[in-house]
Amino acid sequence: MLIIDCPYCGPRDQSEFSNGGEAHVKRPDGSADIGDREWGEYVFIRANPKGIFYERWVHSHGCRKWFNCVRDTSTDEILKIYKIDEERPKLDSFKNNVKTPSGEPNLGSGNFTVKK
Amino acid sequence: MKKKYSIFSIAKNALKGHKDWPKMWRSPEPREFYDVIIIGGGGHGLGTAYYLAKEHGLKNIAVIEKGWLGGGNTGRNTTIIRSNYLWDDSAHLYEHSLKLWENLSTELNYNVMFSQRGVMNLAHNEHDIKEIKRRVSANNLNGIDSLWLSKEEIQKKVPIMNTDNLRYPVLGASYQPRGGTARHDAVAWGFAMRADEMGVDIIQNCEAHQIKTKNGKIEGVETSKGFIRANKVGVVASGHTGVLAETAGIRLPLQSKPLQALVSEPIKPIIDTVVMSSAVHAYVSQSDKGELVIGAGTDSYNSFTQRGGFNIIEETVRAMVELYPVFGKMKMLRQWGGIVDICPDASPIISKCDVEGLFFNCGWGTGGFKATPGSANVFAHTIAKNEAHQINSAFNLDRFASGKLVDEHGAAAVAH
Amino acid sequence: MSDLNLTDNKFIQFHQKIGFKFDGVKYYGYKGDTIASALLRNNLKLIGRSFKYHRPRGFYTCGIEEPNALVQIISEYSEPNTRATIKKIYEGMEIESQNRWPSLETDIGSINNIFSPVFPAGFYYKTFMGPHKNFWKKIYEPIIRKAAGLGKPPKEFKAVSTHLHHNVDITIVGGGLNGLIAAKSLIDTKYSVLLIDFDDQLGGILNNSNKVLSVNNQTPMDWISETVKEIENSKNIKILKNTLVTTYNYINHLIAVEDKFVGSRPLKDKVNSTLHKIRTDQVILCNGHIERFLSFQNNDLPGIMLCSSFEKYMCRYGVIPSKETVVFSNNSNSESLVFSLIKKGFKPKAYIDSRSGENIEPDLFDLIRKNDIPLYTNSQIKGAYGNKKLQKILVEDSSGGVNEIKTDFLCLSGGINPDVHLFTQSKGLLDWDEKDLTYKPAQAFQPTITLGSASGQFDFNAINKEINEKLVIFGIKPVQIKLELNTSHKFKIEKLWEVLPQKQTIWSKSFIDLQNDVTTKDIRQAISEGFDRIEHLKRYTTNSMGTDQGKISSINALGIVSDLLDKKVNEVGTTIYRPPYAPLSFAAIAGRNSYEYYDPERKSPIHNWHITNGAVFEDVGQWKRPWYFPINKDETMDEAVQRESKNVRENAGVLDGSTLGKIEIKGKDALAFMNLIYTNSFSKMKPGTSRYALMLGEDGMVKDDGIICKISDEHFIATTTTGGAATVLGCMEEYAQTEWPNLNVYMNSITEQYATFNISGPKTRNIIEKVFPEVNFSNEAFPFMTFQFHEYEDTPIRILRASFTGEMGYEIYVPSNQAVKIWEKIISFGKEFGLMPYGTETMHLLRAEKGYIIVGQDTDGSITPLDLGLDWIIGKSKKDFLGKRSLIRSDTVRKDRKQLVGILPTNKNEKLEEGQHIILDKEIKTPTPMLGHITSCYQSPTLGHNFALAVIKNGQSLIGTKAFASTPELKTIEVEIVEPIFYDKENTKLAS
Repeated sequence: MLIIDCPYCGPRDQSEFSNGGEAHVKRPDGSADIGDREWGEYVFIRANPKGIFYERWVHSHGCRKWFNCVRDTSTDEILKIYKIDEERPKLDSFKNNVKTPSGEPNLGSGNFTVKK
Repeated sequence: MKKKYSIFSIAKNALKGHKDWPKMWRSPEPREFYDVIIIGGGGHGLGTAYYLAKEHGLKNIAVIEKGWLGGGNTGRNTTIIRSNYLWDDSAHLYEHSLKLWENLSTELNYNVMFSQRGVMNLAHNEHDIKEIKRRVSANNLNGIDSLWLSKEEIQKKVPIMNTDNLRYPVLGASYQPRGGTARHDAVAWGFAMRADEMGVDIIQNCEAHQIKTKNGKIEGVETSKGFIRANKVGVVASGHTGVLAETAGIRLPLQSKPLQALVSEPIKPIIDTVVMSSAVHAYVSQSDKGELVIGAGTDSYNSFTQRGGFNIIEETVRAMVELYPVFGKMKMLRQWGGIVDICPDASPIISKCDVEGLFFNCGWGTGGFKATPGSANVFAHTIAKNEAHQINSAFNLDRFASGKLVDEHGAAAVAH
Repeated sequence: MSDLNLTDNKFIQFHQKIGFKFDGVKYYGYKGDTIASALLRNNLKLIGRSFKYHRPRGFYTCGIEEPNALVQIISEYSEPNTRATIKKIYEGMEIESQNRWPSLETDIGSINNIFSPVFPAGFYYKTFMGPHKNFWKKIYEPIIRKAAGLGKPPKEFKAVSTHLHHNVDITIVGGGLNGLIAAKSLIDTKYSVLLIDFDDQLGGILNNSNKVLSVNNQTPMDWISETVKEIENSKNIKILKNTLVTTYNYINHLIAVEDKFVGSRPLKDKVNSTLHKIRTDQVILCNGHIERFLSFQNNDLPGIMLCSSFEKYMCRYGVIPSKETVVFSNNSNSESLVFSLIKKGFKPKAYIDSRSGENIEPDLFDLIRKNDIPLYTNSQIKGAYGNKKLQKILVEDSSGGVNEIKTDFLCLSGGINPDVHLFTQSKGLLDWDEKDLTYKPAQAFQPTITLGSASGQFDFNAINKEINEKLVIFGIKPVQIKLELNTSHKFKIEKLWEVLPQKQTIWSKSFIDLQNDVTTKDIRQAISEGFDRIEHLKRYTTNSMGTDQGKISSINALGIVSDLLDKKVNEVGTTIYRPPYAPLSFAAIAGRNSYEYYDPERKSPIHNWHITNGAVFEDVGQWKRPWYFPINKDETMDEAVQRESKNVRENAGVLDGSTLGKIEIKGKDALAFMNLIYTNSFSKMKPGTSRYALMLGEDGMVKDDGIICKISDEHFIATTTTGGAATVLGCMEEYAQTEWPNLNVYMNSITEQYATFNISGPKTRNIIEKVFPEVNFSNEAFPFMTFQFHEYEDTPIRILRASFTGEMGYEIYVPSNQAVKIWEKIISFGKEFGLMPYGTETMHLLRAEKGYIIVGQDTDGSITPLDLGLDWIIGKSKKDFLGKRSLIRSDTVRKDRKQLVGILPTNKNEKLEEGQHIILDKEIKTPTPMLGHITSCYQSPTLGHNFALAVIKNGQSLIGTKAFASTPELKTIEVEIVEPIFYDKENTKLAS
């Protein structure tokens, strides 16, 4: 279980939080000018990278505040947590442990036991 | 079929101390070019190669697998097989699969131990009853064996179940007698062996790095063993399908999440059917080895680590102990996790895409194992003919733009 | 009895005799004995039968790594698969051996041994396929299932177990030599420390062997008790004994289980085990090592045991399994056993070492020579033989000659492995040590330190250096421990995984996994068939998949495989170590969170009134809602519902609607916000009025509904469905915080602050005028869909004129703490007008007659407002609201979507049922196309017959036509498709 450092309450067990998927997704308004495909992408498609991921969490069993988080989905390491109105941290400030799109990190993978 | 297995072949080999069994599959190096490359050597991928070779006459096929064949979700699931889905499109797909399962051991001459011990889905409140009765009715009209069981009938089938004295009493269940379980590894191995016999190159430890396209057409796959050209590429990489699609510039509506499962220590037979309950999250069956095989839930966040939170295990185990009090005196032997790729409507994608020659079979979420032969069969058709089989036509990528979803999720999850 | 002189044993209370039963026979042991030590004391060596071939098996080890000695504890609800080597006995304990019939001595299943040549690895994949596929289901599989499994299922049981959370700086796993030194060095530091040991005695190897003669010039026992006392007296260190760390999760999250009844019968209503959930900044693994076995022919016979286990039985339990054992080793770990035997006045019958004389430890060599022990160097055991017990062994000596030695016991050592299970669970990486021939921790992923043999540090002389280096991060004072050893301080080993038998027959068996009966022959076969990946090999042969997870044997398998494949062991890799470390009780995992604490019951403020008045409840989410109120025991639900609904239509009824979600929304931009959340437009609504509203998902599908009361442009109160309350609030918060943070709006759930009473029926006005005489309930003063705030005996209440039944009605919102008072008043004042309480079932019936939908029953996540015929509810002039754009997608604008209709049976005596599907053809030929299904169906007391709501394809244009409903027997009932409203189409009642 992860520990998530809620920007309002401090570090808590992940079971107190709910995940809100990809962060920084701009909602288009409901106008008809938007094509079916573009709208469909907004409703259904979210980034799903292996490695650095910008995501949202809400402290649902706590202060009920939403906030953003940068997490490495290949190791689950949380790299940064920031408030919803703070600027998106730059990608190059994080080290990506995954060399190929579906590759495994050197350390912390569920797949390796032996040092190569 | 070159390798023939039976009690006689075993007896013959016994005299030789089991030294002369042929190899199940070769370990070839990749060729420069294939008609079709399948990315992902799990049950779905190996099955696709098998059906491409067997039913569509293609011979120059490779299956490339990052690790060892059958090592992904094929080897990590709770092996439940059923076809009692609500919507017509799902029902037809899973029933197609179930029919293939029923003949698979004979067809492959490899015992996948498809065990039709029945699958029960429990109702714990009035809303469940309504949903389940609706599903049973739809199943019957679709020609799928499905019946409603009263509490008394459930007690007879599963005497150890606590039906009354629990927070959410058991009020009834749907039951599909033809459902059951199978030996997950054997499915991958059986398909691999027979595909290999037909000339399919199964290349293990070969990771796909990039799907290369040119002018809207597929070129091939850049792999850890070099670039391999191909006319067509089918991606069946479960949790990693999304990241591979991105390399070809395609965004898929998939989220990869940890899903966990566990087994108990082996004991003598105690539960004879598969019992599933979505209200109190607990899926259980007993394997032929005697272990209780228990499915837990997914974590809410995306992860590729193949591990989930212990709280999810706890949730499941307490539901098990609630439903089957005697399990309290049993022990968890192993727990593990896999990565499942989940679609917004909880239905799979078996579809071509904007890139000519590129196909996807993904989004199976928590329930892909049961579909293995059916999914492979229609995916092979889709790749060979460049268009969907009637059975998988609804499971296209366009549905997310048009809104024509196959919403198994919505149908099951709304409470009043 | 095989007792040693017990007076010098501190762990066994030899004055306290304990009687217990094994397979019905009574035996005696002493307080402190495990089942294994007690049975060995009674010279019992056969304990169980193996999984596949039903081979007789004895105690192979003296600890948690035991593969063979699994028993059923009859006296504890028949708990299966309990390790006899760790479970302590108590007076009256009853134990049974497993997997044998009719008895342990004579087991019919052992016939499998004769047929074993046709049961090679994976035999079941290759057979049981003919002559017909039904044979698998009807014949083969039932036989396989019967044969499988170890213990019998447990008996009826109610678990009592609890969970305890710890947040500490440092957790030390293992209280042996290294764990105690580490803990001692942390005494009175600023760190909070947890020291966990599986045993009830701290000290580990100091208790279990004679390896160490003295620690800091004290006897090991004295040093332990002094050290433990110091630790116990410290303020910052807590010791957990009898506690096994089973799981090492991410972010140093450890799971450990504590047995609260060690050596006594667990009490029924007391907590039997505690599951400790530990968060810690730093983990120090001092959990030691595990000895390996060796493979040779019949290496599974009872009477074969690991060297260190034999020594542990002597030192720890004061029992000697045999006074004349042969020792076979390829490494220095056997030295200590020889020393212990001689110290106690015994000596091995022979010492066999695969190493040459000059590679054997000089001390050991001298000891053997001095005591005239027959010594075989450069020698190997080719096989062991005997009937249900070891009787003789064959030894190939350095000259190649084969010697027969008669013996009833054999001790083995194939090397030692750091116990890396937890370390790999933490996702640390291992590396193969070619000198010590084992995997050792190489790189930690989390803040993990390994010490002593757990880190692969097998040299006693290096203890100080290692601890001081690795614990320097805590700023401890350097440790200076002086050890005096009986044996050489270094570990030495020569490669040996398997000895090939003298003569290979098709029945020869050299085991590589004792519990699952996997032989080295199976490994060879699997590799020749191409299962050369270690995970394939494991799955194909079931090697290391038993309850012991191959603790004493899995490394041997890797060694054999690497030799066969001519690869380095590192290239072969290992399978992934799966948590838990050892089987973990389901009861402990569940803790207190099952049975009455499985899920909270949410109750209305007047729940007790419902109970007193005989309500039958239904579960709606976590809520308990009155389903119906039978007037006596004999009244069925159908009868009650008919009576209740008739009464609402003719007189009046009152429903406890408190469970409906209530959300208060406030802020300068509340109006703009509500316009975005709901489909309706609230802009032109006057304060004091209310509106039925729908909330959609972004996919355009109906997600929830409710009534919105507008107090002002800056203040709204919304109701939600009972099950949807949390989701709706969550959704509002999400959009308010993430999409429209610029809007000044905030919201809160007030569901539990207010009770809601829905009174409806033609006599409603008569009743509430009596209850609230100061309120003017006339149509003019209190029109339909308006609300007012009033005071009732100093209690602020809100009254809303709305109806879900089709009759004129009012909803009274009352603070929860005043609810009973007002409810009782309504009931008592209503009596003269025939007022009766009604439950959810009647509510469902009445609203269906009126054609009102229930979200989740008449909708299923695939229905848009247009499908429900609720076009009017959509604020078309609004630029945006949740899901708006989805309503004009190509699939949502289709005219032939599933739409809400009414259904009536043509023959009014016929009964329809919810879930039945509507089809076009009278005759059913499967698969048959379905138009849709019946979502709601009731027997109407007003209409006098069955009626239903359904969602069917192209429904709106099919109104007026005939179709069929299908029954479970695949028969059909002719039905008429009608408008989805059956009562008061003109809405005259609502505003009456």
